[in-house]
Amino acid sequence: MHHANHFYGHAHVLARYAGLGDGHPPRINGYVQHGWNIGDGLAPGHPYAERTPSLLWSEQTRRRAWSVGRRNVTVIGAPFVYLLAMQPEEKSPPDREGTIWYPFHGWEGQHVKGDHKELIARIRDTEPGPVTVCLYWHEHRMRRVRRLYENAGFRVICHGYRGHWWKDTDPQFLDHQLAELRRHRRVASNRLTSAIFYGVAAGCEPAVYGDPMVLADEDPTFGGTARIRRQWPQLHGEQVHLPTAVAIAHAELGTDHRHPPAALRELLGWAYPQEETT
Amino acid sequence: MTTETASAVTLPGGEMLAWSDRTDPAGDGPLAALAARLVPAGARVLLAGPHGPALLDALAHARLTCLLRGYPDAAVVAGRVDRVLVAGPHGLPAGEEYDVVIAGAGLDAVESVEGERLGWDGLLARLVAAVRPGGDLLLRLDNPIGLHRLVAAGSWYAGRDDAEWTVGGVLDSARPANLEQVRERLASAGMRAGSCYAGYPRTDLTTALLAVDELARHTTSGLFDAVLHAACTDGYAGRFVLADPARLAVDALHAGRAADLAPSWLVLARRPAADLTDPDDDPDDEPDDTGDAARPLPRVDRPENPAPGLGGPAPLPVAFVADPAAGGTVVEVLHGPQGWHWHRTGIAVPSSSADAPYAGRALAHLDPAAPDGPVPDGRLLRSLLLDGCLRRDTALLRRLLRGYADWLDGQAEQGRLTGAVALAGVDSLVVDGDRWGVLDRGWRADAPSPVDVVLARALGRFATELLTGGYAHPWTSTLDVPGLTVVLAGVAGRDLDRAVVEAAMQTETAATPTDPPPGPRSYQQLREAWLRQREENTRLTALLRWTENLLTSRERALRRAEAKINLLSGSLSYKVGRLAITPARMAKRGARAAKRRARAAIASKQGGQK
Repeated sequence: MHHANHFYGHAHVLARYAGLGDGHPPRINGYVQHGWNIGDGLAPGHPYAERTPSLLWSEQTRRRAWSVGRRNVTVIGAPFVYLLAMQPEEKSPPDREGTIWYPFHGWEGQHVKGDHKELIARIRDTEPGPVTVCLYWHEHRMRRVRRLYENAGFRVICHGYRGHWWKDTDPQFLDHQLAELRRHRRVASNRLTSAIFYGVAAGCEPAVYGDPMVLADEDPTFGGTARIRRQWPQLHGEQVHLPTAVAIAHAELGTDHRHPPAALRELLGWAYPQEETT
Repeated sequence: MTTETASAVTLPGGEMLAWSDRTDPAGDGPLAALAARLVPAGARVLLAGPHGPALLDALAHARLTCLLRGYPDAAVVAGRVDRVLVAGPHGLPAGEEYDVVIAGAGLDAVESVEGERLGWDGLLARLVAAVRPGGDLLLRLDNPIGLHRLVAAGSWYAGRDDAEWTVGGVLDSARPANLEQVRERLASAGMRAGSCYAGYPRTDLTTALLAVDELARHTTSGLFDAVLHAACTDGYAGRFVLADPARLAVDALHAGRAADLAPSWLVLARRPAADLTDPDDDPDDEPDDTGDAARPLPRVDRPENPAPGLGGPAPLPVAFVADPAAGGTVVEVLHGPQGWHWHRTGIAVPSSSADAPYAGRALAHLDPAAPDGPVPDGRLLRSLLLDGCLRRDTALLRRLLRGYADWLDGQAEQGRLTGAVALAGVDSLVVDGDRWGVLDRGWRADAPSPVDVVLARALGRFATELLTGGYAHPWTSTLDVPGLTVVLAGVAGRDLDRAVVEAAMQTETAATPTDPPPGPRSYQQLREAWLRQREENTRLTALLRWTENLLTSRERALRRAEAKINLLSGSLSYKVGRLAITPARMAKRGARAAKRRARAAIASKQGGQK
């Protein structure tokens, strides 16, 4: 299996949903899109075997992937959608409060350019209630960055380590994220990212504002942040029209494309699991 | 007709003594059914050219004269008809008139190699002269650019068969090449063209006759879709063709061109009554596009011989269908106040048992009383699903398949389905909004089946067609037929396990996605199957290369880990730790052994006491 399938415990969520238990998930015969993206659904720079299935989140991404030469692309929906199906919201959920704020991060090899202090001031000015800032694991480990947010009076959390080369993946990553999202009324970020869509799907009101913190060596292939703002202007701003956001999140996460467990097993190549997973 | 004594076989000249125009008996049923509607009891009928036994049986109530060019064919029909003329067109006695003249094999088959050639117009004029005023001519015409030509592996102009002593084709302007031209020729010959039927699937085999005007009007009709697909799949089974004729026929239907691509046409024309005031001959009574001969002859001049079972002149049927896969009888589709409805004729269809969908499987039987009642309206589920797959419209597929599964649930009694519903696949289900219906082919399940099994079987057959047919679809190429069936069931909102699907499909022919489809051997589909195999090889090669690279990198990581373990196991701290642990491990092992011994002793003691 491609190691990216394990990022954020995606393979674990899918294996649980497919009825294969909580153990190590069997190999997936394909690449699961591991984050919302504006390209072909695959992470640039990763090696991929030609014509191995791409298991994508949304129909729009599938069309785009096909148009740039990808084949064997199919839509299964985001793993988060499968998690939501396994953990529907309680009938009378506890009251939500405040905002969960995701400062945009790069991954380990990237370096974010931008001013955290400026962003903190903007968050303070904008958010009406208490703020939880969720940092990406490597920023969370950077004491300097973490302190900046803590000193601003924000609660600072990290959902866990997404893992790398099958090592140290937190299988509960998405579970932690879902639990946190459900505690908050709003979800916000300085960029439109997976977390915003997850937040909307988990019942939060979204907001996207502030310096988008351009990466030092951002890949411009698919148009970058400028294109994101052009294509989804309705999701940007301190206040966003909720029904519109819900509809877009529904499509981008491929909620309607969620397959039942048996069909998912077939699509992931799990009809005959290669190893015991319990 | 007289059956007690052998009918007179006369040879007025121009006969072909060793020639035979053999016809496929399966292809004669629809023509026979149409003829039976046209010919009242006691009518004088001329059958010009070869006709099959079904037609002779269907016209047993009439006085039949056969005009045949081949003597062996005359020998076959002698005794079954009133008179047999073995001759070319010149052998037809001058001045002799008939109520109905039928040239069901076209005019070419009337011309003999002997004697002077008349040509198409000459032959038509000869036959028209044999129609009494007010009488009917039923004429077959082959389409030079019909579906059979478009899919033919061989060229029409090579002409190597015995019957092709001359090759008459579209370049010959003396012969009509389309329906408009044949109507003009008929008008020039003094006939008024009326109803016209498109004959499918081949020129030498007509198992479906569909009214041309209805084909143009109902381009999305599920009935026409199903009939054309079945006729062309069965009619070309095992033959080598360029492209799938069923696909082409159904596409032509949707484009409003099914009549234009029909391999042959049957045109009904009436000779205007010169001195009779036949109300049916008034052109104002008829719709513009159907002409005078859209209704059977009323026979007001012979009230003692009304057409049997017709109850007076009524519009001719929408379709005549012989289903060789099902056997049974030729079925008509009639106009009715509530829309189209089935009507069974008494004309038997020879069943090719090897091709029957349930032959030899002891699963189903044919209901002799089916089909009956109204023909359900709507589009064919197969075409809707294919469209959804091609356009990757998963929302449409969800709506359709969920609707189908829910409808099956609604039809079930205690979760089980019986009758036609239990066997109906996507090729015989029609959908009109929320209404579902079965295009009954007459098969009935012997035993009730659970809904899941019926659903799995229908989706499995569709999955086979989708994969082997080479259709584009929204899912991955890594799915086999049962896998895709499970996915389709998922789209239908049913979480069917692979085991359920495999059990339900036990009776089906197994196929892999890289196989060409069963039925016609189409060059296009064989090529597509080869392309699929090539793509699969490309995929597997790339995967293998990637896996090899990954294996190399993991082996390197493993070597590093082993080196680290070796390094650590040779260190002083490891050795000290091991020395410290060893006595503890030995003590633990000793304690376990003592415990085991004690247990054994207690057990043997208890055994002794007992």
